[in-house]
Parts: sequence; C-alpha cells; structure tokens
Amino acid sequence: MNLYVINFKGQTTVEELMNPEKGSPGAGEDMEAAESFIQQAMEIILQEAVKKATNVKEKVCEWRSPEQLKELLDLELKDTGESESKILQCCRDTIRYSVKTGHPRFFNQLFAGMEPHSMVASFITEAIKTSLYTYEMAPVFTLIEDALLKTMMKLIGWEEGGDGLFNPGGSMSNMYAVNLARYRYCPDFKEIGIYASPRLVILTSQEGHYSLAKAAALLGFGTKNVYVGAVPFFVNATAGTTVLGAFDPIDEIADICEKHNLWLHVDACWGGGALVSKKHRHLLKGIQRVNSVAWNLHKMLMATLQCSAFLVRDKSCLLQRCHCAGASYLFQQDKFYDVSYDTGDKSVQCSRKPDAFKFWLVWKAVGTRELEYRVDRALALARYLAQEIKKREGFRLVIEPEFANVCFWYIPPSLRNLPESLELWKKLHTVAPAVKERMMKSGSMMIGYQKHGDKPNFFRMVVISPQVSRQDLDFVLDEIHSLGKDL
Amino acid sequence: MEATTGDLTDPLINHADGQLFLHEAFKIIVEEVLCKGTDVKEKVCEWREPEELARLLDLELREKGEPQENLLQRVRDVAKYSIKTSHPRFFNQQFAGVDYHSLAGRFLSEALNTNLFTYEVAPVFVLMEAEVLRGLRELVGWTEGDGLFCPGGSTSNMYAMNLARYRLYPEVKSRGLWSLPQLTIFTSPESHYSVKKGAAFMGFGMDNVILVKVDDGGRMIPEDLDEKIELSKSQGAAPFLVSCTSGTTVQGAFDPLHRIADICDKHKLWLHVDAAWGGSVLFSKKHRHLMKGVHRANSVAWNPHKMLVAGLQCSVLLLKDTTDLLKKCHCANATYLFQQDKFYDVNLDVGDKSVQCSRKVDCLKLWVMWKAVGSAGLEQRVDKAFLHARYVVDQMKKREGFQLLREPEFVNVCFWFIPPSLRGKEKNADYQNRLAKVAPVIKERMMKQGTMMVGYQPLGDRVNFFRITILSPLVSQKDMDFFLDEIERLGNDL
Repeated sequence: MNLYVINFKGQTTVEELMNPEKGSPGAGEDMEAAESFIQQAMEIILQEAVKKATNVKEKVCEWRSPEQLKELLDLELKDTGESESKILQCCRDTIRYSVKTGHPRFFNQLFAGMEPHSMVASFITEAIKTSLYTYEMAPVFTLIEDALLKTMMKLIGWEEGGDGLFNPGGSMSNMYAVNLARYRYCPDFKEIGIYASPRLVILTSQEGHYSLAKAAALLGFGTKNVYVGAVPFFVNATAGTTVLGAFDPIDEIADICEKHNLWLHVDACWGGGALVSKKHRHLLKGIQRVNSVAWNLHKMLMATLQCSAFLVRDKSCLLQRCHCAGASYLFQQDKFYDVSYDTGDKSVQCSRKPDAFKFWLVWKAVGTRELEYRVDRALALARYLAQEIKKREGFRLVIEPEFANVCFWYIPPSLRNLPESLELWKKLHTVAPAVKERMMKSGSMMIGYQKHGDKPNFFRMVVISPQVSRQDLDFVLDEIHSLGKDL
Repeated sequence: MEATTGDLTDPLINHADGQLFLHEAFKIIVEEVLCKGTDVKEKVCEWREPEELARLLDLELREKGEPQENLLQRVRDVAKYSIKTSHPRFFNQQFAGVDYHSLAGRFLSEALNTNLFTYEVAPVFVLMEAEVLRGLRELVGWTEGDGLFCPGGSTSNMYAMNLARYRLYPEVKSRGLWSLPQLTIFTSPESHYSVKKGAAFMGFGMDNVILVKVDDGGRMIPEDLDEKIELSKSQGAAPFLVSCTSGTTVQGAFDPLHRIADICDKHKLWLHVDAAWGGSVLFSKKHRHLMKGVHRANSVAWNPHKMLVAGLQCSVLLLKDTTDLLKKCHCANATYLFQQDKFYDVNLDVGDKSVQCSRKVDCLKLWVMWKAVGSAGLEQRVDKAFLHARYVVDQMKKREGFQLLREPEFVNVCFWFIPPSLRGKEKNADYQNRLAKVAPVIKERMMKQGTMMVGYQPLGDRVNFFRITILSPLVSQKDMDFFLDEIERLGNDL
C-alpha cells in the first residue's frame, strides 16, 4: 500500500501524487512498511490485550479518574500526523487503561471471557472489511449467516425453518420483532403510518429488558403503551432476565397468545445459550411455539461483540416485505445471479457487518458438545457459588439462581446484628457501591451491583467464562469481605 | 459429559492453544487478505455460484470440533472467496482501500471487546469518542454540541428523525404517535433509502415522506421544497423535518444547504443533513464549499468509513443541540446499568443517549488514523479522490463509447458504455432497451474474471449506467487507465 499517505506530512504536492511512477500500489517497500507496522501493532495486541489481559495475576482494570485519563491519553487530534512509534504507544496506552473484559475476574456484564476462535473471526472480518447487503459483496458471509441461522432454528425446534438475520445488538432484534408484529397486524402501516390506527399495546414483564421501552418510543407506540392499554398485539417474554436471570414460562404464555392471536416474541438474548444444553434447555420449554426470538451469541456463548441473532418463524418473506425499500442502486433485479441471495432489504440497516461469522468459526472449532459443556459448567459454577454464599456469614442470596446470575448482598459485620428494618436497608444500600469503588481502584475484580424494586443495592455475579474456576469464585467472596468488612 | 464440582477447579479453555491459533491465523490474514488483497496482480474476486460455494465452504455445524489445521484452512478459504474490497480495482461501493492505522485500531477494538455504555467498562473510549466528535463538530462549524457513533448511516438518519419528532412533541416518547397530527418528512428522490425505511420503522409511514423535485444535477430544488411544505400544511399535516443530502448515493449531488436552511428557519422545521457520503469534504479547504451552510443544520450524519477509509463501521451523528436532547429523547434509565450512586461522575455514562444497549467501539479506528496522518493527511485523501475523478472524466471525454450522465460534482462518475454496435443508433426504437442490457453483462464478465468491480444501476428514466466511485488512497493513474481499458475489453463485442 501507499505508505506515503500514512506518513504524509504535507511535503509532497498533489500533482506529484498523481505521478504514476511514485507509489504504485503493491510496490515492494511500501507493502513491507505497512506489514511491519501491522505486525508490530498485532504483537502489542497479542501480548497486552490478549495474553496479559486474561492472566489472573494481572489487574482487571487500571482505574484512573476522567481528568487523569485525559491527560495520560493525549487525545487531541491535530493537523499533522504522529510518528509510528507514537502511534504504537497510543495503542499500548489504550490497552493499559481499558478494562480487561476477558479477565477471569471480570463479572460485570452479561459478556465475559475470551474465545480465541471468535477473536480470529473478528480479525478476519475487519481485514476483509465488507458489508452484508448483497451476495456480490459478501458471498462467503451471506452463506455462513444463513447456515448459522438455520442451525439455531433447529435448536429452537422450528422443523420447517424460518427467516432471520444478525443485528447490531439485541435491542435492535427486539425492535424488529415489534415492527414485524405491527406489520403483520396491518401491512398498510408501512405506508400510511400509525396515526389513524387504534392504539396498539405491547405487553412485557417488569423484568423485561429496557429495549422494549426504547422500541416503543422509537417505533411510535409510546412508552406508556407498554404494559397496559387498548389493543394488545405483541407479547414479549424473556428467557433470562437481565438482573435475576429468570425465565418466563413460555408454554403458558404461548397458550394465551394463541388464544388471543398475539405475536409472541422471546427475548432470549441472555438465556438463549441454554438451548445448547440438554440438561438446561427445559428453561425455554415451548420456544418452538413462538413467532420470533432474539438471541445474543456474544453473551453466554462468548462470541465477540456484537453477535446478535434475530429469528422469525415465517416462510412468507415477512421480514423482506416489512422492511424493503427496493433501492435500485443495490438490489438490481437483473443481476447475473439469483438475487434472492441479496439479504440487504430484510434489514433496516444499509451496510451491515458479517457478525455471524464470529460464531460460525467457534462452532466449527469446538462443536456443539463443547458448547454444551461450557454452558453446563457455567451453570454448575453458579450453583457452587450459591452454595458457598449460603455457607458464609455475611452473605445472603437475593433469590435461588435459576441460571448464571447469582444475586446476593454482602452484610458487613457492623450491620449483621441489626434487625430487619428500613434502617438496615438504607445502610446496606451504601455497601455495594463502596465495595465496587474499592475493587475497581485496586483492579482486583469487577462485579456489578444494582437496586431492584424496593430491594437495596445487591451484587450480581454472572458466571460465563470457561476460564473461570472455583478458586476465582472463592476469591470473589474473600475479596468482597476483605474490601467491605470495615464498612 | 456431566460437569461435576470436581471439574470446576481447572479452567476449561487452554489459553496457550488459543494464542497459538491467533498467531497462525494472523499470518494467514496478513498474507491472504492484506498482501494479496491489495496486490494489483491478484484478482478482485474469486466468483462462485452460491451452491458451489456452499459446498466448498462445508458450512455444516456439527457435534464435534475440528483440529487447528482444518480451522486454518477454513480461514484461508474465507479469505479466498471473499471480495477484496481493498484492491486497487475495487470501485463497487462508497468504501474502498485500506488504512493500516485504522486497521490496527479495528483489531484493537475487537481484542478489547467492550461496550461503550458506561465509563466503568470503557473509560478510554468514552473520552475518546467525545474528543473525536468534538473534532468532527468543529469541521461542521459548531464549537459545542452533542452526538454519538451509530451502527451505520441509516441509524444516524433515524436518530435525526426521532430527535426532530421529540423536540416538537416531547410527549410522543410516552404517548406515541396516536394523538399527534400526521407528521411529514421532506427529502429528495435521490436521497438514501434509509429515510424511507426509517419513516416506516418509526411509525410515520413511507407515504408521509414527501419527495421534493431535483434539478438535472440531482440537487433538491428549494422553491419546490417550500411549495411542498405549504401544500402539506394546507392538507392538515404537520411538516417537521427536512432530510437533505450532501453527496447523494448515485450521482454524488450536494443539496443547496443555505437556501434549504432559509426555508427550514421560515417554517421552523428540523434540518438534517445526510452527509454520510459527502461529509468528508469538510476536511478539504478546496472542496468544503460544497457543504456551505452546513453549520445551520440541526443534525449531520457522516460516515468516515466511506471516503476517509476508516473501515466498516464508522458512522457518526452530530448535533448542534446543547440541551441534552439526545439523552432526554432516548433514555430509559435502566437501574442495572446507569446507577446514580456510582463513585465517578455518571454523566460519563453515555449509554442512555443511544437506542442501543451494547454499542461497539467505533471511534478508535478513526482516532488512531487521525492521530497518524493528521487532518492534513485526511485532506490530501479527499483532494486526491477529486483529482482521480477529474482524470477519469477527462479520459472518458477523449474515448469513444463513454458517455457521461453529466459533469460530476463529486467523485461519483456515472456513465454509459456504448459498445460499437450501438454507436450512432440513438434514434432506434429499441436503443434504450439494448443499452440497458450492456452494463449487467459487463458486470457479470468482470466478476467472473475477477479483474475489477464497478457498480451499475438505473435512475429514474435513465437505463442502467455504471457508477465508479474513486476514493481509495491505494489507487493510481494506472488503475484508472486499466479501468477504462477493461470496460472496453469486456464490452466491445456486445
């Protein structure tokens, strides 16, 4: 590549750039320089962002306040470029002060761990750099997305297959479900909008993900029309709620939806992973009856972000009909190949990343049995943690975990003899934030906390990564006590 | 295999194996995708029919895994049959080429694997995104404002629609569209289709996207905009947004922003500028005049993954607003993410500005590139693209058989190739039909031979023509000459 563009510091005139002798693409030394830069950058990434970042002896995070961090990073964008060594140092600094989400003691979110096959697939995706709107632009990735979706549909239990695509996040998948249900209810809405229609209402549980509320706002329903209203047309059931990891009873809900002819969508972004486990898939019993499913492979199954599937039990091209705009500059009908392979008009996006590949390669690499084993192990670890919590003084479970979320309070010694009262709750509410601050400043681990309904702040431990072991969970409990015993 | 407590002692994944795989796979990526993929002596694409490709790839997902050797072969296969979008002869879309700094940034984003919703999980990137947005806003002409990175320009355009709606009728967030008058959106027929898709998605309805006439260059006619707004009002509808375009998809036209802004001011409509394609001219002192008046807009969509070669995806929405409109419009205040009792300033938790929950780190790729080449380097990139376009246009005028649609304003060069057999036959009754068949055949031939990729499409009543967009910093005059020769070679016998 023409590295003179990379190192360009305003010295050559534009006329010189047009000279065909200078900097022809593929010229040996230019490619070498580019290759050398990328090799060095990758070496840093492998050492610092992969190897060290997954090493239990290293910190999970290197906490700095925003003001300190701004100074350290030298974020300013200037007119002239910087040297190669400065850029590599920028990469090192970015890594140093970023949170190591692949660390065995990162439990803060519903994603964790480091899956090397997925990471390789991510790197390939970045290098290949294409968009999934047409077969001509992404032949390999189009077929891979289709193969993965079909396999997922088999796991769900849709014998006749269906349709689907990968989205930039589960929130988007949930929005697609609402939109499809609305379109099925009345296809005319696509053209005329919803002003004149009866007020349609979305039903979900209080524990449902907030993306349903955001969907209601964005799609024109209004957040007040989630829960209670005039004409229900859509029900969202959650398989694996965000905080408690609860599973709505899909079979029973499906009975009701069938009776009232409502679209049933299952937000299985978090809990979908249980489908690969013969032991735990019962949590989603009935899922083959639903109209649509959102399932994020970047959560329990550890694909790199983002890897969010949206699946719909439909063979009538509903997805295409609902979203298409037939842009003639992309979806020409006179192409020389079968244009039904152009998936772009199923989407509300134009350019779309080939996210399915990041999990297809993992599945090829490890196989279904290994995926199953990983899920079973994560849930066994969660059970272990729950048992330990029950044995230890000062730790109290919020509820018996159903999945991989283990929610509990840590009650410091000073509060242990207080009676159950509002006063105890108020004091307890301040414990988790203080412990969180300490753990982040020491960089020893990261765990989330939140309040929930009228319950005071509690920790939510999420067990995902196969790299995590019993010792790490023991450490978590020891560390919380160590950080919080003087509160 | 039942996971018992005893199995829980040792970690399951062997990181040494994983790291070795990363190492080996990376070598293949460099060789097959980066080196060969940018080498003019290699093909742009290795065409296979879908059924054949499916067989070659062995797509099936099975119970058992595979050894590393197999997986590395798979990596090679994926590289082989994928389009080399960084190739000097790839001209098919509005992205091309490769910038190695941004590539390093992209690899780094993938390796660090985090979401941009809170400072606690993405401290570096929250600050970095803010700085990049500030720099881009400065180029628009705003010293303050708001914004964020979106998963694509279509989403940025939707956000603008949502904000405009919310500003006018804040109650729509909770009550929905049911109680509102019929809201209407104004755009040109040459605008991107995401305006229509967004309108359908958000409940407005595609029919409420009113198309404003364009001149023969494809630019919105302000007088017609004014008339259509008046008409819409007189019909009892409530116009609320004009979505105009800086750099239309096919022709690369720039709507006249100052005059459109006058009309928006007059009628109090939100002015959104879809500069996903054309926004990068703002880096160029020579060409930024094309977007004169952009500072008067309320919002701007801009995709650095297009002309700036930042790599997919890199799309921003920039806002003039300083009243936290973005957050108010989108927030849902989820207590499991946006706790108010955190130990740092929670204004740094930007997640609630977005309609997404998890949001990828897209700012790093642009930041690294900008740091490496400076604004001056990016300016050169833009200027060079214009020069290439000028060169191609001049050459086409000299060659028989190449007919431009019109003189390009930007770097989209739209033209028909008229094979010798059709030359001079414009008056024939079936001329248009026969001409329409030329581009698809040439396209098929170029793809099956893998020599280059150029897009074609019809537009209005104009039959299939080619659209070449020249933006890659890897391209030189030789590639332009090759492109012209190759079209002739592939189409002369038609």
